[in-house]
Amino acid sequence: MAPRLRSGGNGLSPLLLTCVEGLSQRGGSRPLAGLTAIIQNQSQRITTPRSSSRSPPCSAPFSTSAPCELNREQRRMWAWLRGQGKKFKTAPDPDQPGPDGDTARGNGGGPNYVGSFDGTQVFRNNKLFKSEPVLSEKARDAIFSAVVEDQLPLKAVSQKFGVDMRRIAAVVRMRSIERNWIASKKPLAKPYQRAVLAMLPQADLNPGEMPFEPINDIHVHMATMQQLFHPTSESRHFTRRDAAKAFGAHTLPPDHKLRIPEMIDLERKLASGVPSEEAHDEFVAQTARTEASRAKRLKGRRTMAELNRTRVATDRFEFRFENFNSSAVGRTGRGRTAVGWRYGVPSHDRKPDQVKIPTKME
Amino acid sequence: MKYRRVSRYHGLKRPRVRQTWNKYNLYNLNNLREPKTLYNTFFQQKWGAKALARGYHGEHIKEKKWERMFSRRLLSVTDMDPKYMAHFDGSEQAAGRGSGKTQAPGSPPAPRNGTSTKHTPYMQMTFAPLERRLDIAIFRALFASSARQAHSLVVHGAVKVNGMKMKYPGYLLNPGDLFQVDVDRVLDCTGVKKATAPKKIEAASEPVKEESGKKLKETKIAAKTLKKRRADIKKLYWIAKGLLEGKSQSKSDGETETETNKVLRMKRQIRARKNAVRALVNTVKKINPLTPDQEFLDDESKATELVTNLSELLQELHLDFVDPERARQKFVETEMAKAKLEAQMQANKSTMLRNHPSNAADMSKAEKMAAKREAKREAERILLGPVKEAADQLQSTDRGTLSQLIVKQLVNPYDPKKTYVTPWQPRPYMSPFAFIPRYLEVNQNICAAVYLRHPVARQGLAEVPTPFSEELNQLAHNWYLRRG
Repeated sequence: MAPRLRSGGNGLSPLLLTCVEGLSQRGGSRPLAGLTAIIQNQSQRITTPRSSSRSPPCSAPFSTSAPCELNREQRRMWAWLRGQGKKFKTAPDPDQPGPDGDTARGNGGGPNYVGSFDGTQVFRNNKLFKSEPVLSEKARDAIFSAVVEDQLPLKAVSQKFGVDMRRIAAVVRMRSIERNWIASKKPLAKPYQRAVLAMLPQADLNPGEMPFEPINDIHVHMATMQQLFHPTSESRHFTRRDAAKAFGAHTLPPDHKLRIPEMIDLERKLASGVPSEEAHDEFVAQTARTEASRAKRLKGRRTMAELNRTRVATDRFEFRFENFNSSAVGRTGRGRTAVGWRYGVPSHDRKPDQVKIPTKME
Repeated sequence: MKYRRVSRYHGLKRPRVRQTWNKYNLYNLNNLREPKTLYNTFFQQKWGAKALARGYHGEHIKEKKWERMFSRRLLSVTDMDPKYMAHFDGSEQAAGRGSGKTQAPGSPPAPRNGTSTKHTPYMQMTFAPLERRLDIAIFRALFASSARQAHSLVVHGAVKVNGMKMKYPGYLLNPGDLFQVDVDRVLDCTGVKKATAPKKIEAASEPVKEESGKKLKETKIAAKTLKKRRADIKKLYWIAKGLLEGKSQSKSDGETETETNKVLRMKRQIRARKNAVRALVNTVKKINPLTPDQEFLDDESKATELVTNLSELLQELHLDFVDPERARQKFVETEMAKAKLEAQMQANKSTMLRNHPSNAADMSKAEKMAAKREAKREAERILLGPVKEAADQLQSTDRGTLSQLIVKQLVNPYDPKKTYVTPWQPRPYMSPFAFIPRYLEVNQNICAAVYLRHPVARQGLAEVPTPFSEELNQLAHNWYLRRG
């Protein structure tokens, strides 16, 4: 029968523990082994809070190695993970209906961030970064059908849904890849998609909702970031156009920098009392025209470039020869737009550590 | 390029927030306190700030490389309101003494472009050039659980940019670039890891037995639940199998049936099928085989086989449920085949009864055909009524539930060959890190994303995801300006 040891307070004497261990090692006597087990058991209960996930060596008796205890920081971390941090462990279930009771979207729980006061702030210290909604599957379908099935111009789709034109192009591009995958029976990452979307705030793009993102934002030109003293008469009608000119010959007025400048015309028509439907129809026609002319211009540029190029196909490579203007090298012979090897300009191509990462993939 | 080496990656004593979904990192992120700068020199403030910020932003990139990437040009945009632009040409802002007319109190407010009066947080854009890197963009698109993992995905050839393989993690994405990551690798990176084989605990002497009486009890209970689970799955398997193959195999072939008998048999079959469906639904609900116990699955190869078979069966069943017309067709076909066989047997019997070979020879082909047609019509008359009934029964609520469960199984199957736990689940502690910045558009189905544009600052918002405040980022920005 092993003698029982009863510890009065929290602390067990480490001296006693080592003494007992030493004895058991030397003699290997059974009763003391039981005692060691009890002591170790108790000391563990004190040091590790709920030590269910501890590794087995800690609980093994007769260990000569130092007892693996958690330090203060580790104890705090585990306490937090088991307490307040517990809600972050499991992801929201996509099969549960969301807070709005919408089962189709499968947004059970929704976003869950540490910095969250209103549910969108990801980082506690950074109020200036928000987890903004992403397009839901329903919204992506709506955009795809508007572009592909209804054949609306991109600008009109952008205005209709309040989504940036570049995003619309990206949605359509990736949806068509997805369609190809489905047609060729390539498996999609459906479980991943459902799980990730359930963790994110989503926008369905229903009419009457907040606009998804600004569609007519313009880049702030470096030249306009300083204040400018521009003396002019008080009676002068000084417009945006004049201001742009004052900043320099190369700065355009914002009316020309808008992504969808046709929207200004639309607003003017609406203000002048043109019926909404008629104005919108005209807007769609106008955007279709501008897009068609842009497409034509791009096509013309491409054919011109092709005329300037000779292709020679061999069984391994396709060689492309281009005409170039030899005077482009300039007076120093080192013009930046010129091509070819130039005398006196060192080439670092074959030097070690010269990683030649491509700058574009086309 | 080699990784930059970092000691104590997820340290708790001197914490650094990293670009990972690790739980240590979550704790550090939650406890992030920015250094107090009151008694520090300006140099010390800048040094501390950039050290903290670089621990998060591209910590795997060498300092020299980042210094070359740093740009003092911080991109920003301003939102223009077409409605305002249609009504005003901007001259009202230049009226008066050149900075807009002063408004008398109580008069309507001066027209503005947009409504936001918030400042543009330029300083939060300090590390924007890093967001252009391919590896960091992959991490931001939630295709990898850390920037370093994204880096290795690229190096190991799992990433395509615009349809071409890209092996450089330092590739700077251009606006409009589409990058795709191999779906299986994404599921591997973001899913629950397969448990490594548990370490063998050396056989301990009696004391272990003494102290772990409670443990022993626990294992006993676990074994019991395991056994029950196995039995449940087996049951489910046989139910599904029975359901597919039809339960009416017991009838002996040679026996002739009266018409009433036939109808009765059909009814019995339908009832059996209906019961089987109900039992299957109940069992599926009870044991949820779609997320089987990993321990159980690893434990027994037989069980693994069972579940695999089950998923095949469920697939077959699913086709039935998705396409009731097909199911009906199948049912009719099998019954027709049976009826045909019976008709044949009967015809044979009658020929035998006549017991005259010449008579049999006399029976012309046309007659045979007519007899067959007659049998067929007879079979259809008997069969089609109950078949319709069966189809109607299948369209009950059971069908919906079962179909849903089967779809779930088909979409997220159990597959022991995968490198991650199947059915796939997101790894723990993922959700607090799940956000997608606006400069990316992601399609999770094909694990592809488009880098729409460079991240920008706009009024009240900056698109670079950084866990630090504006003050800290400003200090870091000042460090890299290299102005003493």
